[in-house]
Amino acid sequence: MHYYTNKCITYNILIQIVISMKRILVENITDKMVLAKEVCGTSGSVLLGKGTILTASMGHRLKNWGVLSVHVDGEEESPQLSGAAGVSPEEVRNALEAKFSRVIGNETMKKIFAAVYKFKIQHNSR
Amino acid sequence: MKDPAAIRKTLENVSTIPTLPIVIEKITRLLQNPQTSAEDIGKAITTDQALTSKVLKLVNSAFYGFPGRISTITHAVVILGFSTVKNVVLTASIFDAFSKRVSANTNFEMEKFWLHSIACGAAAQTLAKRIGHNAKEECFIAGLIHDIGKILMCNYLPAEFELVIQNRIKKNCLFFESERETLGITHQELGGIIAERWNLPEALQGAVKNHHYTVQDKEYSTVSGIVHASDILVRALDFGNGGDDKIPQMSEVVWNNLGFENIQMQQLLEDIESEVDKAAVFMQLV
Repeated sequence: MHYYTNKCITYNILIQIVISMKRILVENITDKMVLAKEVCGTSGSVLLGKGTILTASMGHRLKNWGVLSVHVDGEEESPQLSGAAGVSPEEVRNALEAKFSRVIGNETMKKIFAAVYKFKIQHNSR
Repeated sequence: MKDPAAIRKTLENVSTIPTLPIVIEKITRLLQNPQTSAEDIGKAITTDQALTSKVLKLVNSAFYGFPGRISTITHAVVILGFSTVKNVVLTASIFDAFSKRVSANTNFEMEKFWLHSIACGAAAQTLAKRIGHNAKEECFIAGLIHDIGKILMCNYLPAEFELVIQNRIKKNCLFFESERETLGITHQELGGIIAERWNLPEALQGAVKNHHYTVQDKEYSTVSGIVHASDILVRALDFGNGGDDKIPQMSEVVWNNLGFENIQMQQLLEDIESEVDKAAVFMQLV
């Protein structure tokens, strides 16, 4: 009986957690939203802790840091999360070529280009 | 082209350029005295409450390796050491002096600028560690302030700044190339004015004045070489934006002297990314 009651309570808490948290794109962050889960950077270190009250400008900042989405308090409005798709190797190469366009003839810059390209591709596929 | 000497003089005569807090000078003096205790440093810093809270926020971040465990400045000095705390105070003061300013130019995004600067600092610190350079914290500050001349220009020479930006957009060139073309003087020299006025250490002044290695035969400085390379790497890794979308040429002198041929690049880029993540706490000061 105890086990059953406890299990019910656990399920209820779980359900509450599930329905009281929604994942949104960082560009949709508005003032006073509360972080339901800590935000970690690409290497796993914590950028913002759970419970942080967000502002729209923080959303902009998180985007700059490469964070695409966050979990905030509130009910999930749509299970679909658009815009979080990875970038294709071709897109990575094109963007890098545009940046390196003036220096790519140089042997040293070719080495840097190759290293950064490899890094970005491996990073994307993680 | 404008008159570079006149531009320099205009900036030198601006009386509202921020100064560093007196506490920096006080700490520098205290550090020269071997009798100075952690309490002495703690007392000197806590006279400035706003600065104290920023310093505590920074030393409690993952960046310094003791997240959430340092309760007082004296405690920070004991755990991190005199020199690190002095560098943290200097960093917090630099943010105080400049980072709150909103860009007056719609084509220059201040937040992206600071992200580029912080990332350059984090990359410089990582690179310094990798090559065994002992002043890695100084390298962080050097990276952080390397483009300070751009902020000066944005805030105190808005017409000239706009001219540089419009020319850069038109020619799709590097920011400093546009500066040379339109003003005949770059953010390196302009940043040098404040680096001198703040009486920053020689290595930091050098990084501000010569991170683009535009003059190849200048006396080689390891810190400015590290910042030069870090600037290029964080541009390639897309951390923020210092005012243009292009990559400058890596100096062969720097590439060879820092021993890049023997550096495992993938590991270096991983480490830079990880360090930039930890440095996220500095964005909260912007």
